[in-house]
Amino acid sequence: MTAMALGAGLKPPRSSSQPGSSATERPRMNRDSGPAIPAGRIHTVHMRQSLLVTARLRIFFLVAMLVVVAAIALLRIGYVGFVGAPPSQTSLAEALLPSRGEITDRNGTPLARTFPAYALWFNPRAMDDDGAPLVSEPEQVAARLQQIFPDLDMERTLNILTSGRGGYILRRVLPEEANQVFELGEVALEIPREFDRHYPQGSLASHVLGYVTENDDRRLQGRFGMEQVLDEQLSDKLQRAQPVALSIDLRVQGALEDELNKGMLATDAIGAAGIVLDVDTGEVMAMASLPAFDPNLSDAQHSPNIYNRATNATYELGSTFKPITIAAAIDAGIVRDLSKPWDATPVEMAGRMFSDHKPKGDTLTVAEALAYSSNTVTMRIADEMGEARMRQVVQDLGLNDRAQIELSSRGKPQLAETRPNGTWSRLTNMQMSFGHGQAVTPLHLANAYAAMVNGGILRPATLQRVEPGTAPRGERVFKASTSSRMRQLLRMIAIYGTGQSADAPGYRVGGKTGSAEKSGGGSYRRTALISSFAAAFPMDRPRYVVVAMLDEPKGTKAALGQRTAAFTSAPIVRQLVPRIGPMLGVRPDTNRDVDISDLRYLIEGRR
Amino acid sequence: MIVTGSRLRQMGWVAVLAACVALFALLSFQVQTVRSEVLLAEREIISLEREVQMLETEFQTRASQRQLAEWNTVELGYQAPRADQYLDNERQLASLGVPAGPDAPSPIRVARADLAGPDAPAREMVSPITGAPVTLASLDAEEDAGAMFTEAFGDFLIEASPIRAAKAQSVASNRPNDTVLLSAEVAQ
Repeated sequence: MTAMALGAGLKPPRSSSQPGSSATERPRMNRDSGPAIPAGRIHTVHMRQSLLVTARLRIFFLVAMLVVVAAIALLRIGYVGFVGAPPSQTSLAEALLPSRGEITDRNGTPLARTFPAYALWFNPRAMDDDGAPLVSEPEQVAARLQQIFPDLDMERTLNILTSGRGGYILRRVLPEEANQVFELGEVALEIPREFDRHYPQGSLASHVLGYVTENDDRRLQGRFGMEQVLDEQLSDKLQRAQPVALSIDLRVQGALEDELNKGMLATDAIGAAGIVLDVDTGEVMAMASLPAFDPNLSDAQHSPNIYNRATNATYELGSTFKPITIAAAIDAGIVRDLSKPWDATPVEMAGRMFSDHKPKGDTLTVAEALAYSSNTVTMRIADEMGEARMRQVVQDLGLNDRAQIELSSRGKPQLAETRPNGTWSRLTNMQMSFGHGQAVTPLHLANAYAAMVNGGILRPATLQRVEPGTAPRGERVFKASTSSRMRQLLRMIAIYGTGQSADAPGYRVGGKTGSAEKSGGGSYRRTALISSFAAAFPMDRPRYVVVAMLDEPKGTKAALGQRTAAFTSAPIVRQLVPRIGPMLGVRPDTNRDVDISDLRYLIEGRR
Repeated sequence: MIVTGSRLRQMGWVAVLAACVALFALLSFQVQTVRSEVLLAEREIISLEREVQMLETEFQTRASQRQLAEWNTVELGYQAPRADQYLDNERQLASLGVPAGPDAPSPIRVARADLAGPDAPAREMVSPITGAPVTLASLDAEEDAGAMFTEAFGDFLIEASPIRAAKAQSVASNRPNDTVLLSAEVAQ
């Protein structure tokens, strides 16, 4: 009944207690043509209904709101509990995150770092209208800028300020100067923050570190050296907070460059290269190529000194190769008895005569041949050994391929001419034995010497720090017995032979000199020498290999008028080893040495 | 439903609610204040960290290996240690000593004056120029222990706070050295 009445559109008066409202409703009631129903009951029922609906609605809204609030709270609790704490410290960490990671040496001393810098940029559209970009006259602004920067180029500044185009007025501005410029009140003078790559050590280790340039999206990008090798790691957002440690030891690098530089100046050489290599891990403790370039300069890539003489340039080794020949011969069983005399008379091959520089007699033992650097004995030993074995050793030592190191500038060795079937002629083999007819980099030489003295194992050289115990296993090239024999022989060269001028007292240095004529224009140039010294110390338990090389030393007074390695590069090693030894944990000790008692008579007996 | 006295109770509820809201707002403001202070401190840390980095780099640039080597050649002349400058053990060290001969001069003894014995009176401080006695300015101001503690604790609090460390400084925390110098000048 009620439902029907409602469905028929009957509108009962809202409330009988409201006279005003019933008065207004009455005319509408009269308009309705339906019969007048006594509405009291319907009205009561309806009012109850609507009140109930309202109450329920209210409760529903209240509960819904509570549910929403509870859900939000629960979600928040769940998020905090499961996902993690809300980010509170990110702003600090992010602000201090460098735009490019830091490079340090093995002890954590920074070698390259990035920090924010300011530039002074003129932006003519800064005012955002068609008026003049500057508040005052350009001349006045330029004059005031010159008060802040006394060495400002006035003409150039005025040109930029009046040109109507944006441009750098100054590339680098100190923060105090930036504040002063800000106080000028010129909106068009902007001070954008840029990032600067700085190498605190200047040109030290520049060939190892390399340099960066700004790429198209104004980001620093490594272009050379380890900056290029580590580019991805240094610019990666997750990794760049952690500095990258190189294998270089800054103090050793400083000493190496200092001594090389002194030697270079003393002998008037055009260049020098040096390497200090850890024989057990292959880490490069220092690597230098002089003259160096300054990576701080923006035009570093145009420097002529960018050429790396330590890894890129290939030189004929000369006599420094002789110990490798002897080691191969001992390894192959050609040289068993070290007291056996070898014929040391000049060798005639293919119409050419090969003789020693300073003949020491008709016969020489192997120990003497090394100590006095005899070409003829080495040639005869290599001849007896045969070219196959020699080729194998050269290949095993990696002398026929680019050196193994991270740098991209690695020179390709130029090897002796090989026959079409891959073998060498007898002459090639014999010339090879004393280091002629093949050009390798100083790094090759250092690596080969490391394998020769460390027990016979060749490891790739690396410029990244190797954590203790994680050194690569390497490959065996020589027998351990050969290696220990070579330690004795190398030490004897430094005690009795041409290496005497490298024998730093107490450091048990052993090594071999090498002076090779530079090849140029198809023949050897007698006036241009490459004099090198490859050494290892301490010989009773070799830890480090040192290679020092001078490019075209002259016979100056400091070198006693001589150009050979014994007077030019060997003294560098003698000065260098006492400087770097204590830093590298090698203590000088005059009571300690490699045992050469079984070989000493071979040389001392003749004296 | 509404009974007498419940109006009062209702008002009490409202008052409690208002107090809670006020406290809550106060707390929120406090939190915001602390947060902004933290932010300010963070900003200061960043700028200081940057400055440290800058100074560190400058120091390393000025003390680069090349510069050190140059100073060494020009002025210092240090050389690498020789092998005979190292000693293996105490025995080697002892072997360097020589037993005293029968007519050896007695070993040199350095003169020494007993400046402060356990019962010697504290010497009066005098001006090095006029010889006039000097009274320390810090001794003039007689301070009781409580005031000194308060001040020290205040300083500690200032130091412990990460913010406004630079500005706040108590007047009496001047270093005693300065005070001595100042009063010595006055005595002249």
